[in-house]
Amino acid sequence: MGWRIVSWSIWALGFALALLIPLFGNPMMIDITFRICSLVVLAVSWNVMASAGLISLGHSAFFGLGAYAAILTANLAGAPFWLTLLVAIGAGAVLGSALALITGRLRGIYFAITTLAVSEGLRVIAVMLPDMTGGAKGAYLAAKSFPGVTAINLGMGVAAVGTCLIAWTISRSRYHYAFRAMRANEHASQMLGIYPLKYRVAITAISGSLASLAGGVEVWHGGYLDPALAFDLHITITSQIAPILGGLYTLSGPVLGAIATILLGDATRIGLGHIQGASLLVFGMVLVVCVLYLPQGIRGGLSDVFRRRSVTCASHVSLAKSADVARP
Amino acid sequence: MDLIPQAFSDAVLLAGLYTLMAVGLSLGFGVIRIINFAQGEMIMLGAYGAFWLFTLFGIDPLISLPLLVVAGFALGWVIFGGFVVKVLDAPHINQILLTFGLGLAIQHIAIILWTGNARSTQPTYATSSFLIGDVLVVHGRLVAFLVAVVMVVALIAWLRWSETGLATRAVAENRGAATLMGIDVRKIYALSFGVSCALSVATGVVVSFILTITPFMGFPMLVKAIAIVILGGLGSIAGTVIGAIVLAFAETFASYYVPEGSGWAEGIAFILIIGILILSPRGIRGQAVETN
Repeated sequence: MGWRIVSWSIWALGFALALLIPLFGNPMMIDITFRICSLVVLAVSWNVMASAGLISLGHSAFFGLGAYAAILTANLAGAPFWLTLLVAIGAGAVLGSALALITGRLRGIYFAITTLAVSEGLRVIAVMLPDMTGGAKGAYLAAKSFPGVTAINLGMGVAAVGTCLIAWTISRSRYHYAFRAMRANEHASQMLGIYPLKYRVAITAISGSLASLAGGVEVWHGGYLDPALAFDLHITITSQIAPILGGLYTLSGPVLGAIATILLGDATRIGLGHIQGASLLVFGMVLVVCVLYLPQGIRGGLSDVFRRRSVTCASHVSLAKSADVARP
Repeated sequence: MDLIPQAFSDAVLLAGLYTLMAVGLSLGFGVIRIINFAQGEMIMLGAYGAFWLFTLFGIDPLISLPLLVVAGFALGWVIFGGFVVKVLDAPHINQILLTFGLGLAIQHIAIILWTGNARSTQPTYATSSFLIGDVLVVHGRLVAFLVAVVMVVALIAWLRWSETGLATRAVAENRGAATLMGIDVRKIYALSFGVSCALSVATGVVVSFILTITPFMGFPMLVKAIAIVILGGLGSIAGTVIGAIVLAFAETFASYYVPEGSGWAEGIAFILIIGILILSPRGIRGQAVETN
């Protein structure tokens, strides 16, 4: 019982920081919080999809689509901040559910390749339609009403908290078991009476709309967008590194991972900044090391520490581990 | 002037190159059932190998080719033994993320070692050309085509007539049965991973005098190779050849006949990937590769 209270208070503290730092922090803290919140949204969104056995190698597709949806509605229709974000969320949900419907029975590696192709395909489209998107030269945000920097920073904080709450709601609902069954074995889950397509569409729509929301807020924050920035491979990479580093298929894993990824990126930039490419080299090595030696991530490492404290907890962890290993 | 013969010849030469580019990926997937997302980086390393040997020692890419192919095989063997072997029975997500991470690391080691500047190898035949009727043929592209044909034919001959080649095909067809026949599956895996990397390095050597060389060149080529392999059907060499021909012709004719076509041509690979996966996930000639 004690651990539950501790974990609740850590979550509450994290939420409070995400919402209060944009209002009262100094510029450096605001900047770091903004980037962490952005990555939290992306990482949790990636993890929600991965929890249902859908590996995304193209999360930048959702991010970029959301960013373009926001900048286009702001520039062409003069829509205010909150409305462009709603449009971004809608666009991400449409792309996500379309992806789920189109890929139908494709699983695993085929789904991953399709997401990769969608992301690269959208980038080509954005480059080739310069009248609408500004093409490779990019476009500047020219909004009629600018909500102010604090509102945008706060917006990302709210997005991060909201994303965590959505992931929590999913993990508490009975759908959670359906997603887990689909991840373990989709054929077997059909035997249990789960209709995978329904869950697949729902989860990709939720995940896609969250990642698009991050893109939408980012474009208001940066004020500029071009196809290389919107569909950057870097976004895809960091949104999968964070959950893996933190702990796959868990609630707190992606959040811990996002914080660690941003801090690690900043540390390499400060320490090895004079070497171009050092930070992504470190990310690549983190990916390899995590897959080989730390498959449960930081969270798994922490629960290993707790496991020594209580025997009941240990049996739970080892059960969870054997369930994960047993997957074909 | 009629453009069709010119477009046709360009497409054929490109198809040869695309076949070489995709055949390594096809072999690796067909045998080990892992898509190696670091394959594009092998192409990049091959191109840099050819560039440095040419620039520092004046060795023609065609002479350094055998040397670099052996080095590529050795590198593939090491990567398999050091990393890939550990995720052979792991979930797909681990395999994808591991090779993705390896590719990322190799790419950025290349940036640190050689900077992100664009370079190119310039042997005399790279830019010289000759005319057949109205059709302009660049020597470099013809050389690339011939190298590709020789290497792909050698691969097919190896798979068809050598004992290890037959064993490789047996493993690709049925891993369990091959084990029962006394084939060392791990060794065949390492071998085909090495050969697959060697073929990608050869692709890199060949493109070193056709395209500009940068540390980022591998990833777009990987995506194209994936499109070709999916189009042809995973694990079929003949299918890979057909896939390469389809992609090469589609891209070449799009860039000749569609306004701003060379920009749109870059997107054809992605449209093909999505289209084929929707219509017929087994591709044109693929065997049944059902993954869970």
